[in-house]
Amino acid sequence: MTESSLHPTSEVAVALELNGNLVHATVPAHRTLLDMLRDDLGLLGTKRCCAEGECGACSVLLDGELVNSCLVLGAEANGGVLLTIEGLSMDGVTDLQAEFLAAGAVQCGVCIPGQVMAAEQLLRTNPDASRDEIRDAMSGNLCRCASYQRIVQAIQAAAVGRRSDA
Amino acid sequence: MATYCRPRTVSEVLAALANAEGRGRILVGGTDLLVHLRKDPFAPTVVVDIKSVNDLPPAVEIDDDVVRFGPTARMAEISGDPFIAGHLPALGASARVVGSIAIRNRATLVGNICNASPAADTVPALFVYGSTVTLTGPGGERTLPLVEFFVGPGQTRCGPDEIVIRIDVPIPDRGHRSAFQRLTRRRGVDLATVSVAAGVDADARIVLGLGCVGPTPLVTDASPPVDLTDPAAIEGAVEELVSIATPISDVRAARDYREAMVRVLAVRAVQSATAASGGVSS
Amino acid sequence: MPDENQKLSSSGPNAGTHRVVGQPVHRYGGVDRVTGAQRYLSDITFANAAHVAFATIPVGCAAIDAIDTSPAWAMPGVIAVVHADDLPQPVARFGVSHKDRPVIATKMVNYHGEPVVAVVAETEDEAHAAANAAVIHYTELPGVYGLDAALAGDAHLVQDPSVRPRDDLNSTNVLEQVEYAWGDVDSDGISSPTIIEDTYTFPMVTHFPIEPGGIVAAPTDDGGIEIYSPVQHPYLLQRTIADVWSIPLSRVRVIAPDPGGGFGGKQTPRYEPLIAFLALKTGRTCRLVLSLEEAFQLMRRSGCRIHARTGFSESGELAFHEMQVDFVVGAYADVAPRVMTKGSYVGAGPYRIPRVSINARAVLTNTVPSCAFRGFGAPQVGWATESQLDAGARALGLDSLEIRRRNLVEHDEAFIRGDYEARSDGRWHESLEKAAELIGWHEPTPSGRGRGIAVGIKPGATTGLSQSLVRLLYDGSAMAYAGTSDMGQGARTLWKQILADELGVDLDLITIISGDTNSVPFDLQTSASRSTVFMGNAVLAACEDIRDRVLKLYAEATGTAQSELAHSPGQLVTPSGAIALVEAAQTALGGLRGEFVGQGTCRLWGEKGHPLGGDAAFYEFNATAIEVEVDHATGEILLTKHVTVGDVGTEINPLQVVSQDEGAAIMGLGHSLMEQMLFDDNGQIVNLGAIDYRIPTFNDVALDMQTASIENNDGPGPYGCKGISEGALLCTAGAVGAAVADAVGTPVRELPITAERVWRTIRDANRDSPV
Repeated sequence: MTESSLHPTSEVAVALELNGNLVHATVPAHRTLLDMLRDDLGLLGTKRCCAEGECGACSVLLDGELVNSCLVLGAEANGGVLLTIEGLSMDGVTDLQAEFLAAGAVQCGVCIPGQVMAAEQLLRTNPDASRDEIRDAMSGNLCRCASYQRIVQAIQAAAVGRRSDA
Repeated sequence: MATYCRPRTVSEVLAALANAEGRGRILVGGTDLLVHLRKDPFAPTVVVDIKSVNDLPPAVEIDDDVVRFGPTARMAEISGDPFIAGHLPALGASARVVGSIAIRNRATLVGNICNASPAADTVPALFVYGSTVTLTGPGGERTLPLVEFFVGPGQTRCGPDEIVIRIDVPIPDRGHRSAFQRLTRRRGVDLATVSVAAGVDADARIVLGLGCVGPTPLVTDASPPVDLTDPAAIEGAVEELVSIATPISDVRAARDYREAMVRVLAVRAVQSATAASGGVSS
Repeated sequence: MPDENQKLSSSGPNAGTHRVVGQPVHRYGGVDRVTGAQRYLSDITFANAAHVAFATIPVGCAAIDAIDTSPAWAMPGVIAVVHADDLPQPVARFGVSHKDRPVIATKMVNYHGEPVVAVVAETEDEAHAAANAAVIHYTELPGVYGLDAALAGDAHLVQDPSVRPRDDLNSTNVLEQVEYAWGDVDSDGISSPTIIEDTYTFPMVTHFPIEPGGIVAAPTDDGGIEIYSPVQHPYLLQRTIADVWSIPLSRVRVIAPDPGGGFGGKQTPRYEPLIAFLALKTGRTCRLVLSLEEAFQLMRRSGCRIHARTGFSESGELAFHEMQVDFVVGAYADVAPRVMTKGSYVGAGPYRIPRVSINARAVLTNTVPSCAFRGFGAPQVGWATESQLDAGARALGLDSLEIRRRNLVEHDEAFIRGDYEARSDGRWHESLEKAAELIGWHEPTPSGRGRGIAVGIKPGATTGLSQSLVRLLYDGSAMAYAGTSDMGQGARTLWKQILADELGVDLDLITIISGDTNSVPFDLQTSASRSTVFMGNAVLAACEDIRDRVLKLYAEATGTAQSELAHSPGQLVTPSGAIALVEAAQTALGGLRGEFVGQGTCRLWGEKGHPLGGDAAFYEFNATAIEVEVDHATGEILLTKHVTVGDVGTEINPLQVVSQDEGAAIMGLGHSLMEQMLFDDNGQIVNLGAIDYRIPTFNDVALDMQTASIENNDGPGPYGCKGISEGALLCTAGAVGAAVADAVGTPVRELPITAERVWRTIRDANRDSPV
């Protein structure tokens, strides 16, 4: 038992593995993981739209699971392993991202980092997802340019590519 | 502004809640709490994150005659669990439609009841199985039927110094069947406009759990045995049962539509439950 | 150099062989967008920026009695707390058609969300906390939140008559009205065997861009200002700031990062003059980042109510069509009068109708000011006209397709008659037939389903000016300066494709510069699907200008007579054969190197007296066919098929055409099936935010969706193209409505066609005619 674990504080020290690197930050208690990423850690690829878990623009992988970073406190990420769009793209454009471009899935682009993260996690957890499963699994990520058909096509193409590489 | 703590034991949690003097809010998944924090960012909320508590009950524990859900049981686990799908199909199905994948990865069953929304997706199903809720607080543990837990929209019998430690869902006898039906405004992720869980026991008695048609989720008494091969008999039984519904008009639907839909969904839930395996549609 | 002032006309397919135009070239800026590297407004960091937050009140109409700013000043980090009294008096008003929007709420709050107090603080949290602390004393007034209330005899006036002193209508809530008519407009004496008369409504909907937006203003050393705003019209913003604060244009620099979704919602200035004032007053860079809720309170589409009376002959030909069209425009004019005039101008649709009468009004209410939104008034009025056609078809025993076949104009036939007639600039029957073919219209409708087909039309830009500079550099790379805002439509991709073909430069060696009034020449605006045509022609002209210059300098450098040289896309033709333009340019430039600079302009003059200020440069035409399955017990609609066909002229980039068409079509499902802004009795938006304002998701797209194009190379843009980005949304509602009516036997006349409305319609029909 530590003092800090019991007594509520208005600032919280956070240490996490972010895209493979250990990072530290001290953030206000109410700060979301999304705002911590953007405002405290300078990672601006994770986007902010509805800020209440409805649009998916802020999707990241926390401890290997897809989450809306607007619905996670920065404090909660302490000790966690976080992958953002920057980490996913560290070695350049991935196969999935290339398929997004080839399918014409990218229009205004603000939702796309979140779409890519959700799609990547879908491919990792259900590599043989059917078209219906893809639509259903992606329904938490809104695209107002409505590239939905293009994104489904991109995910299907990436899945085919990964199967043939496997 | 809010403050945050992350206790390690249940007793520390209770101490933190006591110190918070009514301003404490338990955090596990955060899918409701963070929305509230955003709407009222200047309140001195004390966020008590219990994800590091090491003496909580396990997330999901399956016993001979009961499934116990601890505070960390998430919708993703519940909706993906084959035992739950087989024995508590209405619960599995209702957990499956809570938000998106990202939401289900965080949202918890206990959180869903504690938020006490009349639209809480899993509550009608929990009602149908006769679930109980166990709270712990300064005065020790107490267990009450889930139907007694809800007081009004956003209000429960969980005191400011208590936490919900467990939901117990009795595993129905063989021959009990159940299903969940939900109506939404769009096909993608949405809050329910009306939801219904139906349980039909081996003697063909029907119990309905109803969402969005009252200030809290509602549960009916058991009907007399119903001839399940007779659609008119099912409709008649449903008509009796849903008379407890008192829907209102709001941004999602008008009262009369809800009144009509609770009947439609209830009949479908009964039919779906008594069809081959039970299931869900939304 | 081509005559820049010529009337736009179809140029037909380019004789040259296209290498890149017509190919599915990947989006310019796409890599940055998929990797998260793209910097939208809120991703740009500014050293030492102060943050802005607004205080508002929770009603739609109130008199401001007093404002106590002292609690806000007492909060940590506060730099300034500003309300109307702190601005130069009288508080400036601005707007494109009416100068009616004050820089900040002045004496009155006219809609829910109108900023009353602006706080500048060191951090975003501090700004919001201080704004929350400001106390606004107000008296709620009986605001008008719907058409009936606004048009009632004793209605509260949304705008004080002094705001528009020379306006005959200033003692009413009618902002503007317009009348279009041809033929014998008094149809009472006409004996049409079938007359349909009904009222239709279209909801207020909001753009819901995934980037809600924001503004950064930074004072400059020379007394000017830099404004960062993701606007569609940087030059309009520049002019507005210059006008409101009396700063020369040369000292107002607008930097417009790519909008993260525009759809018409980011055209006009709203809060920019206020943020500029705060920056000038505090001497600090002031940054405002909007929440999605604040974006809802900044932009929406006009709601609309249309009463229509339509006569048909026995064989289904339209005899007359009368409409009273009332647009719910909101508290300030913005561009709503233009939406009203342009949308109702094509209100009778692309049909052959001998007698038409359309009366339209823009009606002020105490709601969010409406603005441009994809379709610009055409979807609202078209919803009624298309529904009337289907009602006529049902009455006459025809189907959706057949009634349109009988009434849709042929190529070059007038669909708007009278003094300023408009003729079809496409072969629109081809689109209609293609849509019918793709949905399988000739096959029987599967049991339990319904089908509908509808068409839509929208005038493109009626005047315009786009200017572009293109530089061909010594090493064979090139740059184009084009002021079009790239908000998702992919404009820069097209400029790259044009440069690649016209100059013979590799795509990878082309850079496009946009979004900065200090470096990019004037472009009127990014709207009305104009850019591919207008800026496209300007870029094309700039490339031709470069080829002319290469030819002349090559002649000089090599001692060849100019008459012995010619140029074609990517080439200079010399007496010894064609050589690559890039190679010719190097030869011409010689040892001193340097570069070629070409300039291109596309200008469309208006036509005096024309109700739109001129005929449209082109019309967007679309045919949409939809098949649905309706759950009769719940009213739920399942889209089984959704087909749209656009008359595009030429596809410069087929991938982007598909993206835009699908996007518009799915966006159209929003107002057709689920979207509507709802207000309570106090004028508050009830569904303010993403939880209860629903837009289509992946799962809401039809099970089978297809888009297709008709290419006749008959547009006025480069290579015969037309603008395309709105078409597929124009008639979505009409097609959905017809399909639902086909499935359940009775039409729904209010949008969105929610499950609840379908259920109600079925219930009422059963009541009226018990089986």
